[in-house]
Order: sequence, then C-alpha cells, then structure tokens
Amino acid sequence: MPDTTSRPSPADGELVARAAQGEERAIGVLYDRYGSVLYAVAYRIVGQRADAEEVVVEAFAQAWRDAPRFEAGRGSVAGWLTMIARSRALDLVRARSRRDRITASAAADRPDTPPAMGQFRADPGGALDHDERRRQVRQALETLSPPQRQAIELAYFDGLSQSEIAERLQEPLGTVKTRVRLGMQKLRECLRPFYFERGT
Amino acid sequence: MTGPAQDSLQDLAAAYALGALSADETRRFEAFLATSPETQREVEEYREVAALLALGGPEGQTGGGSLPGGLRDRVLARVGDQQTRPLAAARATAARPSSAVWVALAASLLLAAGLGAGLVSSRGRLAAVETELAARNTTLDQTGRRLAEREATLNSILEPGVELYQLTSNGDPEPGIQLFWNRQRNQAIVHGFRLKPVPTGKAYQLWFIKDGAPVPSITFKPEPDGHAKVEHVPVPEGGKLSAAAITVEPETGSAQPTSPIVMVGALKRS
Repeated sequence: MPDTTSRPSPADGELVARAAQGEERAIGVLYDRYGSVLYAVAYRIVGQRADAEEVVVEAFAQAWRDAPRFEAGRGSVAGWLTMIARSRALDLVRARSRRDRITASAAADRPDTPPAMGQFRADPGGALDHDERRRQVRQALETLSPPQRQAIELAYFDGLSQSEIAERLQEPLGTVKTRVRLGMQKLRECLRPFYFERGT
Repeated sequence: MTGPAQDSLQDLAAAYALGALSADETRRFEAFLATSPETQREVEEYREVAALLALGGPEGQTGGGSLPGGLRDRVLARVGDQQTRPLAAARATAARPSSAVWVALAASLLLAAGLGAGLVSSRGRLAAVETELAARNTTLDQTGRRLAEREATLNSILEPGVELYQLTSNGDPEPGIQLFWNRQRNQAIVHGFRLKPVPTGKAYQLWFIKDGAPVPSITFKPEPDGHAKVEHVPVPEGGKLSAAAITVEPETGSAQPTSPIVMVGALKRS
C-alpha cells in the first residue's frame, strides 16, 4: 500500500540515504513518488506492459543496491532513478532484439493496448505534481522543430548514438548533432523551472 | 584521428546526457568532463531535461499514469531479497553493535579484544568489498559499452553488399589494414592490426586513389596493442577508385602524401 503518513514528507535525498542504510520503506515512498515516471519511461521504450513492469522492478532493485553510491547534489533523485530505468529498458530491448535475430523471428513486437490514462501521483510534500510537469514538457516539446524532436527521441528512447541516428535518417552527422544540441538547449530553457527536486 | 577541439567537446554535453555519444566520444568527453566544472553543471542540467522527456509522450505512449496493481508489492519483495541488500546497511550493522553486544563485550576483556579486532577487520573487509564492487560495476558498464559497440560494428560488416579489401605492406600479411566497403552507403570501416606505433605528432593517413590521384581520407593512430578501428569513413564518389593506401603524415592530416606508402591494396570496380 502507498505510504499515507501525514507527517512532513522526507526529501528525496533523505529517502535514498535511508535506503542506503537498509530501510526498505524508503524505496516504497520513492516508488509512490516516481513509480509512474519510471513506468512511463520503461513503457515508452519497451512498448509492452509486462516488460515495463519488470523494468520498474529491476530499476528499484538497482536503486536499492546503488543507494550508498548516490551522490547528493549531483542532480535529482528522480533523474537518477529515470536514468536507471532507461538503461534497464534499453538492455531489455537489445536482449530482445538479439534473441529475435537469432531465432530469425519475423514477428514484430507490437505494443499492447495502452492502459487508460490515470493521474500521476503528486509528490505528497507539495512539490509540483507530475500532471503539471507533463503539461509543461509537452508544451516545451512543441517548441522544437519536428527533426529536433525526432533526433532527441531517437537518442533517448531508442538508445541510438548520433551516428546511428544519422545513418537511420540518412542525414549528415553534423546536422544530427546540431539538432540534438539546439533542441536540448531549447528544452533546458523551457523546463528549468520544472526540474524534479534536487537530491540534496 | 585528432581529437575534437575543447569548444566542440563542450557541445557534446547534451548528447552525453542523452546517452547519444559513441564509446570513443564518451571516453574523450568524460576525460574532458573531469576537468570542467562548468560542463559538469551543464551535463547535470541536461540530465534533468532528459528525466522529464518521458512525461512528454502522447497519451497512450506513456503506459498510463495508473500503475499496475501489485507492482509496488513486487518492487518491495525484490528489494527485500537479502541478495540485494545494500552493503552500507551491512556495514552500519557491523559498525553499530547492539547494547547486548556491548554487555557481552564488558563481560570478558579477552572476548572484547577479540570482537573489537573482528569488527575493525570486518569493517575493513566490507569497505574493500564495496570498493571492489564499485570497480567491477564500472568495468561491467565499460564492457557493456564495448560489447554494444562491437556488435554495432559486426552488424555493419555483415550488411549485404559489404566488400572486404586488404591493405598490406609489400604483400606481408602483417601489419595490415582491412577495409570493409559498403558501396550502398559509400562508407567504409577501417580495421588495422599489428600496426607499428607512429612517432609523436604523426598518424597513419588513409588515401583513396581515384582516377590515378590520391584523395585524402581519415587519419588515425594505433592503440598500444597495434589495433585501430575507424567507422563511417566516407568513400569518394564518382570517378574510378583503383586502390587505397596508407602513409604516415602529421596527425592533422595532409592534402597530398608527404611520405612513402606503407600499406596498399587494390580496389575492384563494382
């Protein structure tokens, strides 16, 4: 069950520190705060609900193991967790791709029918909730040119390097690099007020 | 090849945060990153941007906001597995013995001395294990990146229509250069082996012989083990390509060869 305590909510960084000391409940609170974000990353990459769930489980298990090495002040806990989930999701996709190549399976993975949209759980500490962030992120993405957005999404969600993106799109590498750089600069300017809570 | 200038390295911060650099670019960028607090801040900020990207997908591509029932329990069950308990927790337990342990310690000086030494020893062992684990994790990550890079190279080489040409030194099979030429993409992968080191400030340079004249291509330096690999090498279009050759040139490259050919191989016409 989600944590429903009415006491002031501990900061994210404090929860990671508690996890590092072996407090499993701290992971439960982090799940309540960011489970939806991690699931969204995982689902976007793997495209299947069962696999996305497995990625979330593995991501929190890795966060539990790596908690003693988390460096407070080097970015947000949400950013750290998201990075872990993205890596695990890409690992799963690559493993699936290798397996498919080996078995010469022609069947393409089709995403499951996505579940109905619900509400992301707001940070009980009263910080900006995920709905508001999602709205701002969508607005920020709309300020990008379609090629900029495509390049950034191929990098982040497909795990492609800039060279691989250039090959896939049959575009010069320099063009792809410029799109990634300028697009990310624009997103940074738009989203600066909406970053997740810092890890301190 | 010569490394990119410092200002262009800083330009790679966004791509680095997205995980969009090749293994080679990552190595060079991380070396630069360690020396630039400004770039470190920039990377941290771009990572925050990347973390938000998942929220920007269209409805239906985010998997929905409602988490599947039972997932929280699965996460906690996995975390509760003793195999995944953080080392810091074990260290904290070892470092802070219970009061009962202290009573027992007081009961026997001899035992206390033994336990105390044991605690110090186990704390030291745990610290050593933690350090080793961190080092192994780093090695694992690096190995994973290298494997992914090699797999990508292998896939490129195995693409249909890729032709292999050998560049040798007077017919001697070693040292040698393998040129994997993808005619469809007008690109090549250059793989060198048993290459001799080049003098400081020098590098090997590849030339394509087109219509009887040398066309300058990439420069590269061999690794200490004599290997070298350069991907996405553009192959000149138009005209008749008859051969590829290697000379030793200044590491910034030359417009015309300034030294004798050290390796050469004929290229067949398609």
